[in-house]
Amino acid sequence: MSIPEISRRGLMQSTAVLAGAAVLPRWGFAQDAMQGGRLVVAADSEPRNLNPAIVASNGVFYIASKIIEPLAEASFDGPDGLAPRLATSWQGSDDGLSVTFKLREGVTWHDGKPFTSADVAFSAMEVWKSLQNIGRTVLANLETVDTPDELTAVFKFSEPTPLQLIRNALPVVSSVLPRHLYEGTDIAENPANNEPVGTGPFVFAEHRPGEYYRLTRNEAYWGDGEPKLDELIFRVLPDRAGAAAALEAGEIQLAAFSQVPLSDLERISANSELEVVTKGYEALTYQLIVEINHRNEVLKNLKVRQAIAHAIDKTFVVDTVFLGYAAEATGPVPKNAPEFYEPDVTQYPFDVEKAKALLDEAGYPAKDGGARFSIRLLPAPFFSETRAMGDYLKQALAVIGVEAELVSNDAPGHLNAVYKDHDFDLSIGAAVFRGDPAISTTNLVQSGIPDGTFFSNQGGYANPEIDKIIAEALVTVDTQKRIELYDEFQKRVTADLPLINVADWGFTSVVSVDVLNVGNNPRWVVSGWADTEIAA
Amino acid sequence: MHRAWRLTKRRLVASIPVLAIVILGTFLLMELAPGDAVDAYLVSLGGGDAGLAETLRQSYGLDQSAISRLWLYVSSLARLDLGWSIVFNRPILDVVLERLPNTLWLMGAATALAFTLGSLLGIIAGARPGSAVDRVLSIGSLTLYAVPGFWLGLVLILVFSVQLRWLPTSGIETIASGKTGIARVLDIARHLVLPVASLGFIYLALFLRMMRAGMGEVWRQDFVLAAKAKGLSRRRIVIHHVARNALLPLVTMLGLQAATMLGGSVVIESVFAIPGFGRLAQEAVAGRDAPLLMAIIIVSAVLVILVNLLVDIAYAWLDPRVGGSEAAGR
Amino acid sequence: MKAFVRRFMSSPEGIAGALVLLLLALAAVLAPIILPGDPAAIVGRPLLPPFSDASFPLGTDQLGRDVLTRLVYGAQASLTVGLSSALVAILAGTLVGTVAGLAGGLVDEALMRVVDAFQIVPGFLLALAFVSVAGPSLAVIVLAVGLGAWTGPARLARAEVLSIRERDYVASARVIGMHPAEIAFREVLPNALPPVLSLVSVIVAAAVLIEAALSFLGLGDPNAVTWGGMIAEGRNLLRSAPFLSIIPGLGLVSAVVGIYLFGEGLVEALSIRGRRA
Repeated sequence: MSIPEISRRGLMQSTAVLAGAAVLPRWGFAQDAMQGGRLVVAADSEPRNLNPAIVASNGVFYIASKIIEPLAEASFDGPDGLAPRLATSWQGSDDGLSVTFKLREGVTWHDGKPFTSADVAFSAMEVWKSLQNIGRTVLANLETVDTPDELTAVFKFSEPTPLQLIRNALPVVSSVLPRHLYEGTDIAENPANNEPVGTGPFVFAEHRPGEYYRLTRNEAYWGDGEPKLDELIFRVLPDRAGAAAALEAGEIQLAAFSQVPLSDLERISANSELEVVTKGYEALTYQLIVEINHRNEVLKNLKVRQAIAHAIDKTFVVDTVFLGYAAEATGPVPKNAPEFYEPDVTQYPFDVEKAKALLDEAGYPAKDGGARFSIRLLPAPFFSETRAMGDYLKQALAVIGVEAELVSNDAPGHLNAVYKDHDFDLSIGAAVFRGDPAISTTNLVQSGIPDGTFFSNQGGYANPEIDKIIAEALVTVDTQKRIELYDEFQKRVTADLPLINVADWGFTSVVSVDVLNVGNNPRWVVSGWADTEIAA
Repeated sequence: MHRAWRLTKRRLVASIPVLAIVILGTFLLMELAPGDAVDAYLVSLGGGDAGLAETLRQSYGLDQSAISRLWLYVSSLARLDLGWSIVFNRPILDVVLERLPNTLWLMGAATALAFTLGSLLGIIAGARPGSAVDRVLSIGSLTLYAVPGFWLGLVLILVFSVQLRWLPTSGIETIASGKTGIARVLDIARHLVLPVASLGFIYLALFLRMMRAGMGEVWRQDFVLAAKAKGLSRRRIVIHHVARNALLPLVTMLGLQAATMLGGSVVIESVFAIPGFGRLAQEAVAGRDAPLLMAIIIVSAVLVILVNLLVDIAYAWLDPRVGGSEAAGR
Repeated sequence: MKAFVRRFMSSPEGIAGALVLLLLALAAVLAPIILPGDPAAIVGRPLLPPFSDASFPLGTDQLGRDVLTRLVYGAQASLTVGLSSALVAILAGTLVGTVAGLAGGLVDEALMRVVDAFQIVPGFLLALAFVSVAGPSLAVIVLAVGLGAWTGPARLARAEVLSIRERDYVASARVIGMHPAEIAFREVLPNALPPVLSLVSVIVAAAVLIEAALSFLGLGDPNAVTWGGMIAEGRNLLRSAPFLSIIPGLGLVSAVVGIYLFGEGLVEALSIRGRRA
């Protein structure tokens, strides 16, 4: 079993560029599509809670996004990078204190009840803001949701809230739940969390634990002529070698989130029945980072951190650890977030001599036969790539005379060691860029976050100037000014190195050539698949 | 039958203190673990704040003292309540009962394979000790024993499922096929061929070598010498005298192997994506689901006790000399 | 002793096993001399096939590490894990078995119930739970294997002690007023040990295989290179680069078969087969 969210969910436009050939989305008109049919895809885990409004993670979205829809989905060509789903338009007020959503007409829940603004108001106030892992941060200042009519929802905030942030968060945060099934119940324990009811293209049919999830066509779906498939099955295949075998044996038609090991892709792409697709992960960028414990006197020294950054050959990491399916990172915001990406930041090219010189300067001279100093290195167990990076970094540090001891934990052990007990020196982690730096990026360097908050700055780093920029950007309504603040943020982070960004990566899907319309939006794997079809 | 009942009763009474030790030991082990199920759950969320963690811990009773949790646990066990699984968010008993049949099928079939094929080959090997056939069989079976189970399973999948496409790669039955009755049984059997072979081949060597060794001893016994003196054919001696007598100790071996096979099923079920008891153990470990893992260890202990009891009864029935003595099974 | 050697030499399996073990032990001991490289060092292009490059005779793995160096160092780690596990299991088992056998009564009863408890819990489940709790390192894996394997030696030792303690020399030691502990260590233990040692090969073989299975489940020691770990890492590349799992696999299989055969030759030479549990 793997760790649900983190287990391989990811992204990256640059990946598509790097991987070159087999990456164009395949549009339907190339082949005759068959109406209906059954699509069987691999799932590597079974989320304990299948409610994306509570658990906004890619492991849950992968299955639940076909059943429960957000207000808007990410899009390659839509305005603001969005495509309307349950909302048809959104408008922010100039003071940043309210956002008005117009909702889609004629939508019904899978149980036949009509979808209205009351469902949106209920989901926002009772679920996204109070229970959801991401919404608790992004919607912290949401005060009320007014519903002047059945198709209008007005979000009111207590502090100015940038519309840009709300927009960027919509695909992740805004899964709408049916109020009539949740109101007055214990939302976290509602049975509908495991047998979800939504408005999406597919209806939940059954879950056989350890075997599969079965979804069937929503005959009353609002999309014209959609969905194309009759049945969608998520087959549980926990072992990575097993997913590849099942694909090659023709038992399944799609394995996402790099469930087929990268090293197998070259061989698989020679198979005329299968295709490797890297599109469809662009808005799910994962970032390979080296987290640093600034409580360690040695690592507190900027020169030491710079030396470590210079010791890492990012090209090698991209080529060998990721076999080219990644891009070298320059800072805390990935290249494929062009809205925010700032290329003009401090760079740390691979330079062993410079790294050694920096360590000498810092007062840690090379010793005969001995190490300059020793540290404990904790690679996160979530991905084979984070583990491999641990093996590589140990070697890279040995070259500059630093001894690293690898400490391996399972997922809970790693989280406790790094984010709660702070019992580490360096950690190889995976952060997720979720479309806006304020969602899950700034918290990696911000100070004052309570101990035990996972995937946040728990290295004891505190920089008042960076903290000030982060706070200001959170309430800056003007988009241009907000972007400038984040440019400054990127420059300061790369100059002071609270953490080291090594690579940004997306995942790959291996798909049968018969499956059409794969990867046609930046969150394709975790979107509704209403237009996915099987060639006749 | 009366004797079997006495044996059963005595065994079950004797197993109570043993089970108590298992329960206490498992509980202590779980107490030592850094990080709990709430941490594991929060990873699956992709993060969460400390307040959320605290709320969850309270709702699972993870904030109480160890002693009061042990007491709670034992008293609910007494009511056959195995507790609540954090990973599955369901009663553990339900999860276990759902998974157990698949594993019992797997283990039963693998044991049958290892036992029959192992003893058969053991007879062939033991019929002419030291011959080329004997050497090939014993080294060959040892080699199978030495191959890691997961690797053997993967190779079988590649050959028989991916290349030849004769058998399914994984799973316990065809998904959502709607098959019932005989068709469904055959479907499950098809899915079990490769996992049973992977698990059974590993333990084949043990039965083979034991049979062969047992035959070596029986060869030297008086009644075999007498049979030889009577001029009976070698084949007749092997089948009617030697093999029959050497088979008995293998039966006790069945009981001893139950625990080992249950352990082996963890890896095999992972490779073949079989929703069984072994994979459940791995899921419990990965999800830090201490109550589930404890229940798994306790249930497998009970299972091993029951298998050994069955073996003892069978042994007593097969070999009247044993009576109700303690000799068998332990 | 002479008779023992003669009997051992008369078993071809035993000799074959001894030869394989000798070879592996040599490789393990001489590893740093023949191959001075670090098995974890990234030295070449990743995934070079065997025999394609003279500097990497057995090729390189997915991170560009030399497979030959890893294979040889893997022998070291795997054999160390096996032998240490056997040592732990034999020491703990013999101690508990001897104490139980000598003390008798309630102590014996209590200790044997503990032995029963460990025996009915599948050893691999126990190892899995223990390693996941204590964190994966070679030392923990050794303890985990020992935890599941000490019951056999305990039972054998107890049985031996029970039969020995009624014998004349123990009785006379008691008569001349030797301390019970002294009797245990000077008279009983040396005589009880040989049959227990017959279990060494079984435990070593099991330990090597359990380590491999734990690595497969992601619970191997990240700082160590072991055959099991190599096979587990190579399994995802079973089709693209089969040599990555086959080469350490051959090492592992020959070691386990060798250990097993050697153990059997030993048992036969000691002629204690009839007393094996």
